[in-house]
Amino acid sequence: MWNLHIIEDKGTMKVLMLGWEFPPLINGGLGIACLGLGRAMAQQVELSFILPKVDPSFLVEQLELIGLNDLNERSVDREGVEKSLADFTNVKWIEGEVTQRLFPYQSEEVERAPGHREMDQYRVERDKKALAGEKIIDRLKAVGLDERLAIFNDGTLYGDDVGERVWAYAQVAASLAEDMDFDIVHAHDWMTFVAGLEIKRRTGKPLVLHVHSLNYDRGGPDSRGWIYDIEREAMTVADLVIPVSRYTGSICIDHYGIDAGKVHFVHNGADPVETYRSKSPFKAGLVLFLGRLTGQKGPRFFLEIAAKVLEKNPDVVFVMAGTGEKMVELIEYGAFKDVGDRLHFTGFLNKEKVNKLLSMTDVYCMPSVSEPFGLSAIEAAQYGIPAVLSKQSGVSEVMTHARKADFWDVDLMAQHITELLGDEEAYEEAVKFSLEDQKNCTWEAASARIVELYRDQLGIHN
Amino acid sequence: MKRFFNRLSKILVPDPQVDSVSESPKSKKEPQKQSEEKSASRPQLPPICFFFAAHQPNRLKAYDFFDIGNDPFYEDDELNQSLLDEACETCYLPANQLFTELIEEGAGQFQLSLSVSGVLLEQLEHFRPDVLASFQKLHATGGVEIVAETYYHSMNFRSSKTEFSEQVAKQMAKIQEVFGVQPKAFRHTACVYYNALATCVEDLGFESMLAEAVAFPLAGREANRLYRSPNCKELKTHLRNGILSDDLAFRFGDRDWTEHPLTAQKFVQWCQGSGGEVINLFMDYECLGQHQGAETGIFEFFRALPQAWQELAGNFLTVSKVAAALEVAGEYDCHEPTSWAYLDKDLSAWGGNAMQGEAHRKILLIEDTVKTKNNPELLHQWRKMQTAEHFYYMSTKDGEVAAFHERLRPYPSAYDAYLYFMNALSDLQIRLDEE
Repeated sequence: MWNLHIIEDKGTMKVLMLGWEFPPLINGGLGIACLGLGRAMAQQVELSFILPKVDPSFLVEQLELIGLNDLNERSVDREGVEKSLADFTNVKWIEGEVTQRLFPYQSEEVERAPGHREMDQYRVERDKKALAGEKIIDRLKAVGLDERLAIFNDGTLYGDDVGERVWAYAQVAASLAEDMDFDIVHAHDWMTFVAGLEIKRRTGKPLVLHVHSLNYDRGGPDSRGWIYDIEREAMTVADLVIPVSRYTGSICIDHYGIDAGKVHFVHNGADPVETYRSKSPFKAGLVLFLGRLTGQKGPRFFLEIAAKVLEKNPDVVFVMAGTGEKMVELIEYGAFKDVGDRLHFTGFLNKEKVNKLLSMTDVYCMPSVSEPFGLSAIEAAQYGIPAVLSKQSGVSEVMTHARKADFWDVDLMAQHITELLGDEEAYEEAVKFSLEDQKNCTWEAASARIVELYRDQLGIHN
Repeated sequence: MKRFFNRLSKILVPDPQVDSVSESPKSKKEPQKQSEEKSASRPQLPPICFFFAAHQPNRLKAYDFFDIGNDPFYEDDELNQSLLDEACETCYLPANQLFTELIEEGAGQFQLSLSVSGVLLEQLEHFRPDVLASFQKLHATGGVEIVAETYYHSMNFRSSKTEFSEQVAKQMAKIQEVFGVQPKAFRHTACVYYNALATCVEDLGFESMLAEAVAFPLAGREANRLYRSPNCKELKTHLRNGILSDDLAFRFGDRDWTEHPLTAQKFVQWCQGSGGEVINLFMDYECLGQHQGAETGIFEFFRALPQAWQELAGNFLTVSKVAAALEVAGEYDCHEPTSWAYLDKDLSAWGGNAMQGEAHRKILLIEDTVKTKNNPELLHQWRKMQTAEHFYYMSTKDGEVAAFHERLRPYPSAYDAYLYFMNALSDLQIRLDEE
């Protein structure tokens, strides 16, 4: 339990977001969502993002991007820090145990008694940093954290040493946060949850966790391990949990056992795009799967669906756009199912090629086993493509008119596709509904809802 | 391990006295007669019968999904031309030159048999007329017998006998045009052989056919003789001596091989001890200078070989001369397709996985559609996609042979080879619909 500090009216609320992927360096779904949300939120609050990696030439209006790979020239906002420290002294601390359990590998911490002695240590660190001057890099040097930055200079954000990166990010981000002025810390996905916990512990600011994807989605219901532990502990401690759909919220509550009272979903938005149609050589229709070829996305079900549709309509063409660890297995399975001249693989596609593909596509099929949201279905809808969606997806809550089936129900999925391609009237209607449904999905709406939740759930007013 | 077995089987196979009890009474008489004759002329060495297969496929480009319906050109012209040039410079030109000289010098009455695939002849006509002329010059020595095959170096007999026969006829016409002869002997792509194919080849009018000597149908008999399929009346079967052939084709340049370096003197001694009535050495022409690079000394080896063999009183013959000179020694009852590939001696290098199976099945599935369109260009395009290498590149075989597949494959993986092929096939299907 945390006793939240009382904020005097400052005019504009200051939010510190913790992100992992961010364009243009990573173009995964998380990065796209963070950019879209960040851009919209920056219109309503003062927003800073701490990221493991930024491209210094990539600027977003009114949004401060702090990359751990790009700290050399950055200085501390002295005025802001002092104000923040003044706030901090007013906070009443009740020590929790959770965070220590999250950092079991830091030996010195084992020795440390809980409570104020820990606070004393941070005060010592803060004094050291104050002496080091205004430059952030010097201040990190003063407390021995500068060496932790090296890990963010190579090419990857994940990899085998992702745990090491997550821990380094938490240490550095927490140290940076001490020198910043903000009202809320808002972390996106488990990679930044540790940092969020640590910042909450050191500053007492309320912690908001934005859940784009869970270990449950990636690894299945039985999957356990340190990532699951982080997710569970962080959500337990957090003041507000924002899953990207009702579907994911139900997993937070039912699977992770999080208090339903602090779980409030906010659907993702989608940036409007300029769309076009181009001529497709596939007269009987083109059905698209777009996503990583990994178990969670259900590519194998797509293949089974294709084989079912081809039984009735042998000229329909299917395309799997994307790459992933299942690709080789899927190619061979496609050959085994004898659909290789009707089911094509594109490998990785850049944005331009994805748009080209969308402009040719007749039906979008998303058979995900567990899909927290599924932004690509909205993107397809922007192109006026009717969708056949897995019920185990967040986007099916938004695309209320789309045809749906359980991910495993390949017969029903195939039936939906066959009907759409065979019935011109039904198809036209589905196109109309797709275009309508996607209009409600905006980042402005998502952003407004989040600010509302800050106010109603955290008592922090803009 | 492979080398061990090969050398071991070399010791075990040549046993001229063992005749199978399962032979038909008719053919049983002949070997008896043969062995009488042979013991009478014992010092006579069996002739060496060289056969070389020259071929270059039309490799497909990285034909991706977005090309379907938009790009009617499937082949990587630049790559094909550069690999053709490489084969010409490292193999065809120097080998043609060497063999022209050896035939003219006449040591051991040097002569050889040769096949040049239709698709290679086409490529040479377009890009390297000088090399085509050098093949013609080699043939003009009179010491070269041209052996027939399928024009497109394909493997479609099991799927379509009609298509197979048409491709053989096309190749016969091409050889008539280029070399002015009608071949009497036939060799299938990769030396594929089995009873049903032999019958068909006999029906097409050929007198003899090349095959791999495979242990099971040989049933302990020696390979260095002529045999006949139980279903054939006239067609004689030449069995390739796998060990001696692969000593040159695969092991020659291998420095880890215990017999390295192989000299002509050493090799002719092996041939001398090999027994039987003929020593059939069949291999890709590209073994000279490409599979065995010039630095291995392969050209020097061949330069010295006729002289060395002559010194032992040996001589050389072409396949049809062997067929004319020798009677069959027995029945060679081969039900399942065999080939000269690696150790498996089967079709698994071209049809061992689901991708190869599907690609091969699907390309032949559209035969009737293609042929009813009466469009020579489409027909040619479709047939070029039957070339065996397209399926060979899709092989996911593991172990020692994986290295061969990888070296020859112009794509990063077997999966890429399959995807590009299937994309191109889809485009072909669309073009057929629109035609």
